[in-house]
Amino acid sequence: MNRNNYDILTLKNLTKIFGGVAAVDNVNIGFRKNYITALIGPNGAGKTTIFNLISGIYNPTSGEIFFNKIKIDNLPPYRIAQLGIARLYQDIRVFRKLSVLENILVAFSDTEGENFLDGILKRRKVLDFQKQQIEKAKEYINFVGLDGYENQLAENLSYGQQKLLAIARLMATNAELLLLDEPASGIHPELINKISNLILDLKEKGKTIIFIEHNINVVLNIADWVYLFDEGKVVAFGLPEEIVYDKTTREVYLGV
Amino acid sequence: MNYLFHILIMIGIYSIFIQSLNIVMGYTGLVSLSQAAFYGIGAYATALLMINFNVNFFIAVLISIVITVLLSFIVSIPSLRLKGDYFILATLGFQIIIFSILYNWVELTRGPYGIPGIPSPQIANFNFDNPSKFLVLSTIFALLVNYILYLITSIKFGLILKSIREDEIVVSTFGKNTTRFKIISFSIGAGIAAIAGSLYATYVTYIDPTSFTLNESILLVTILSIGGSGNIIGPIVGTLILILLPEFLRFLEIPDSIAANIRIMLYALVLILILIYKPQGIAGEYEPE
Amino acid sequence: MFIQLLVNGICSASLLAIAAIGFALVYNTTNYFHFAYGAIYTSAAYLIYWFYLILKLPLIISLLLTFLIVSLLSLSIEQIVYKPLEARYNSSVAILISSFGVYLFIINFIAMIAGNEVKILSPGIEKTFQFGSVIVTRIQLIGVFAFIIVLISYVLFLRTKSGLLLRGYSINPNLTIALGYNPHKIRYFIFIVSSILAAIASIISAFDVGFDPNIGSNVVLLSAVALIIGGVKIYESPILGAFIIGILQSIIIWQISARWVDTFVFLLLILFLLFKPTGILGKKLRVEEVR
Repeated sequence: MNRNNYDILTLKNLTKIFGGVAAVDNVNIGFRKNYITALIGPNGAGKTTIFNLISGIYNPTSGEIFFNKIKIDNLPPYRIAQLGIARLYQDIRVFRKLSVLENILVAFSDTEGENFLDGILKRRKVLDFQKQQIEKAKEYINFVGLDGYENQLAENLSYGQQKLLAIARLMATNAELLLLDEPASGIHPELINKISNLILDLKEKGKTIIFIEHNINVVLNIADWVYLFDEGKVVAFGLPEEIVYDKTTREVYLGV
Repeated sequence: MNYLFHILIMIGIYSIFIQSLNIVMGYTGLVSLSQAAFYGIGAYATALLMINFNVNFFIAVLISIVITVLLSFIVSIPSLRLKGDYFILATLGFQIIIFSILYNWVELTRGPYGIPGIPSPQIANFNFDNPSKFLVLSTIFALLVNYILYLITSIKFGLILKSIREDEIVVSTFGKNTTRFKIISFSIGAGIAAIAGSLYATYVTYIDPTSFTLNESILLVTILSIGGSGNIIGPIVGTLILILLPEFLRFLEIPDSIAANIRIMLYALVLILILIYKPQGIAGEYEPE
Repeated sequence: MFIQLLVNGICSASLLAIAAIGFALVYNTTNYFHFAYGAIYTSAAYLIYWFYLILKLPLIISLLLTFLIVSLLSLSIEQIVYKPLEARYNSSVAILISSFGVYLFIINFIAMIAGNEVKILSPGIEKTFQFGSVIVTRIQLIGVFAFIIVLISYVLFLRTKSGLLLRGYSINPNLTIALGYNPHKIRYFIFIVSSILAAIASIISAFDVGFDPNIGSNVVLLSAVALIIGGVKIYESPILGAFIIGILQSIIIWQISARWVDTFVFLLLILFLLFKPTGILGKKLRVEEVR
């Protein structure tokens, strides 16, 4: 059996109800390993809610989520992240008062240096390790093209640069599954291309990517598979070319 | 000259006390109203151990740190899993009942009568029993605490605390157990406050519950916000402002009975101005966002 | 004996409920932990003292003047301190810290002018009434009576158009504004009404047991605990929470001692935080709202 030919993430009968309204309504879908899957649909269709459910920020009203066969819907967010899921937020959410370098250092999953006692008792060892981490972080900074900005506070970067920082931070987690919420929004076309290529590179490196996007060109360019959402339900799915030009999609987006 | 020593000793003790809030609020972003309670528990524990059980000061400090940290779990474990307002309320409640216990549990603490005759710290045959000698002790402690804080916060631990302050949910989705870090940070703050309290008790040799009230905790938050937090220097600026302003006011010949009130009203005004115009305080890194 | 304590508990719970409703009004609509509420509560006691005992004005005039001044005070705090900070910041930490500053300022101003000692408003023995084996003072009855009036007004108000507007605003302020309602008017209303409720509770309590500059902080604590026990953001909860606290206080006084009342109320808070942070009525709250 092909090692990559399975669903790394499955949503089973997943439902989330807010104040009487189902933001996510009995969703049953899988995400193939090492694929780039796009979630599209109008605002409010439940896409970000799905990400929040996967990340563990929300608990489902009913249904289950499985990651690599492990049930994750009842785990706290930090445990889910440790299992190998990382997230890019729609509103970016970099750590504003931390430098670019520090933003990335936080994301590394190695726990060396996280015990405060080590700061006193094993200081030499921790500082050496930190030097290595800084070198690794600089690689990621280089990869996304933020060279020279290592010590800049994140709040001083432009929107596009913050987005690149968020991607570098995401990569630093070394997570298997990456959730990207609107990676192409709010930036100029050149940067969109750059980010699209970054995502393709990540796929080359063996990652699985799920992304929410309104930019149909990006979806056409990089997605392997598309789910169309409307009002909390999956109303269509398939190859990007099929879905993008489908009648259903037009109806859903234009409300016709 | 003794008066100068006194000022320097108070600066040393208060700089430790303010650092206890700095790690909790300046680094981790948690507003704690319990620091004066921990300060008081440290002071009373050390005083009682030294008087009733003849424990050496330095051992007493260690024991009082342990007691204070254990008590801090009553606040931190139930409330730090939840949103910020719950934590603040829990620290408020804890502060109020610790005062109540110090005041009412007369069998243990002598209540409003306080504890007089607290002996001075002693090691080998050396007794820190006059201001110039005590200054050496308090300065060493202050430098030590500040240095240890620097050691602790200059590694990834400190970075994670700061990132929790910036955006806790994001940090948790990057795999860090933020509740655990917050609890550890709060415990460190409690322990540091206990050190300050122990020094205070052996310096002034008489303590009563009125030094450890909610107003003291609120004042600490105020001073830290004015001086700035989230780094090592902001709290030192805050300490200098707190200790030196009354000296300055003395020149204006304000009657003693209202001087304390006027002082605090001034701090309150400055706090509000700082929040509106310079939120990171005079020399701080943390802004309330 | 227990019945007497229970009745005492109900009387003090009545006053706490009035104060808690005021605190809840602000918290539910603005999400501010309005610590300065304690200073407003304290000011009311000193104002009535000044008007009624010092200036010897008639009681009604004194009450009205007190209500007027606390309303102005509350509005000023909102306009001068909270509003600029609200505009500047996303989170409410700055507002919380500023409310500490406001509290300290007002409390110290009061202490500077009027001193730190406990004052009483009605020297001499209070008139009492006897019902079976239970004795209540006139002030306690006034407290319960005031609570009933406040409760009825509160329930009726929540059903009116303005009341619904208020509930809408606390659930979704942006939508309310988009519908054309003036958010400023809503906030003015909240801050005025909450200050008057604090004043009512404070004045009655001042007549009952006296007052000093530090009474406000305890009221804030107990009001907030009442909200949590009842369930945050639920309009009935300050009342439910206040009465549970009142009853608990009576039980502790009866079984243990008055010295330990505060400690047990705090332990009750901790128990709720550990096991039921959404409160008794909090079935409707999402876990996300408390974590």
